[in-house]
Amino acid sequence: MKSEKTIAWVLLLVLPFGFAGIWRLQHGIDAQRESLSQERDDVLLRSGKLVKVMSLEYAPLLADIYWTRVVQYYGNKHVRGQANLELLWPLLDITTTLDPNLLISYRFGAMFLSQAAPAGAGRPDLAVQLIQRGIQANPDYWRLYEDLGFVYYFDLKDYQKASDAFLEGSKKPNAQLWMRVMAAKVAAEGESFATSMFLWKDIYDSTPDPSVKKNALQHLQLLKVKGDCKQLDELADEYAKRYGKRPARMSEMVQAGLLRGIPGDPLGFAYIFGEDGKAELNLDSPLLEQQLLLDRYK
Amino acid sequence: MRRVGVVALNTFREAVRDRVLYNLLFFALLMMAAAVAVGQISIGIEQTVIVSLGLTAISVIGLLISVFIGVALVSKEMDKRTLYALLAKPVRRWEFLLGKFAGLVLTLAVNTAAMAVGLLLVMIYVKHSLERSDAVVLVAVYFILLKLALIVALALLFSCFTTPLLAILFTVGFYIVGLYVQELRNLPVEVMSPAMSAFTKWLSYLLPNFENFNVMAMAAHGRAVSGALILQNTLYTVVYCTIVLAAAAAVFSRRNLK
Repeated sequence: MKSEKTIAWVLLLVLPFGFAGIWRLQHGIDAQRESLSQERDDVLLRSGKLVKVMSLEYAPLLADIYWTRVVQYYGNKHVRGQANLELLWPLLDITTTLDPNLLISYRFGAMFLSQAAPAGAGRPDLAVQLIQRGIQANPDYWRLYEDLGFVYYFDLKDYQKASDAFLEGSKKPNAQLWMRVMAAKVAAEGESFATSMFLWKDIYDSTPDPSVKKNALQHLQLLKVKGDCKQLDELADEYAKRYGKRPARMSEMVQAGLLRGIPGDPLGFAYIFGEDGKAELNLDSPLLEQQLLLDRYK
Repeated sequence: MRRVGVVALNTFREAVRDRVLYNLLFFALLMMAAAVAVGQISIGIEQTVIVSLGLTAISVIGLLISVFIGVALVSKEMDKRTLYALLAKPVRRWEFLLGKFAGLVLTLAVNTAAMAVGLLLVMIYVKHSLERSDAVVLVAVYFILLKLALIVALALLFSCFTTPLLAILFTVGFYIVGLYVQELRNLPVEVMSPAMSAFTKWLSYLLPNFENFNVMAMAAHGRAVSGALILQNTLYTVVYCTIVLAAAAAVFSRRNLK
């Protein structure tokens, strides 16, 4: 009886102190491993068909798991600002082979693939391939045609194919009216400010995902900046005509009556004139970093 | 038929006493964890993953029960020698087998129904409401139950003439082969001799086709399943189970129990 009590007391002491020690040790081990950590992303099985055969009858669940891997892989790379997304395609390939009806994987997958680094993998060709595979499996889903048009319009700058995609999608059940309008507009004008704004706005309004929403918002803000700078440059030309020299500061245009006040970007930071005399983002504006990143990978 | 009912009811009671239904707790925990976690780590597949995970869990838990308990239905009675006392009463061997089969199918039905209710509750938690198209989830659950009934019949057949371990291997083997019956039918004819081609085709109709019951992807995407398929799968299971149970009864009636 006495020995049992002793064991109980020893256990009471050993368990908390033991696990406290384990907790501390694990932290130490984690720190060591982090310093040794290497990039160990890998997709061991690259054949979607093989994975599907091996999944027995549970392919839909496995597709969900692979899609989660895609999101995690993309998210981790995105957070670290890494441009190398070479495993994105094999992961998406397996996901869509396992579940050809997982629409979200085509829609977001194409976006992850098509956009220039660091926002995406910079592989619009693979994005087109992915969406076309999605259209084959889900021919009546009009949003996939919208996505195809989007990739052709923004990333491949192939306006005829973009127009064809919008037109084809407009014939599908429940397609929005603007798809037909967009088909005509893109065919006639190619890339335009209004079309770009509309397409990004649609992505912004329709996506349920906060990270994609944020990305769409950044594009909308940068498009707005582009439009503002173009207008400011036109006003600066006007100023140059009047005074024989380009303005060095925005305040000069205000004093000349060309502007009511000093204009700001969508985040409220005042625009400035650069060394070349062109309007540009303020050096303090967070949008500048985004703009530089996009320009760098263009 | 009353005797079959008595054996079935006792088989169900025995399963409950053996705490078979405790798996429901595991299922509930799994679904609760999934409902909370999925939204955090993925994009736009909350409902899909809940349905896929729920149906997979129902299927896997049911499979484990039907294979392991199905095989033990006869062998356990023989090991404990309770079978001799039972057969000394006016119960025919086929009635005993049929009762055992019905009892385990009843256990599986109760278990599956409870898990289906759990799945629907988690769906309500994730989606905040249920739609008409969600009824396909119940169809998928029903198909899983049909599949499990077929597996119980196979397990019972194998346990009538071989050891429990071999019976488990045979049942699992038939289940896996049954998932690829369609592939067997689609083998490239041009690389095989006509006789081989005819044999594989014949074999593909002889083996149980478990792919018939797989509508998990349709359920996950809320796509309707036709009434004709429900009827055909029900008839397929009834006919196939009848064949397998008749074979099992034939084997068991000739078995020397000494």
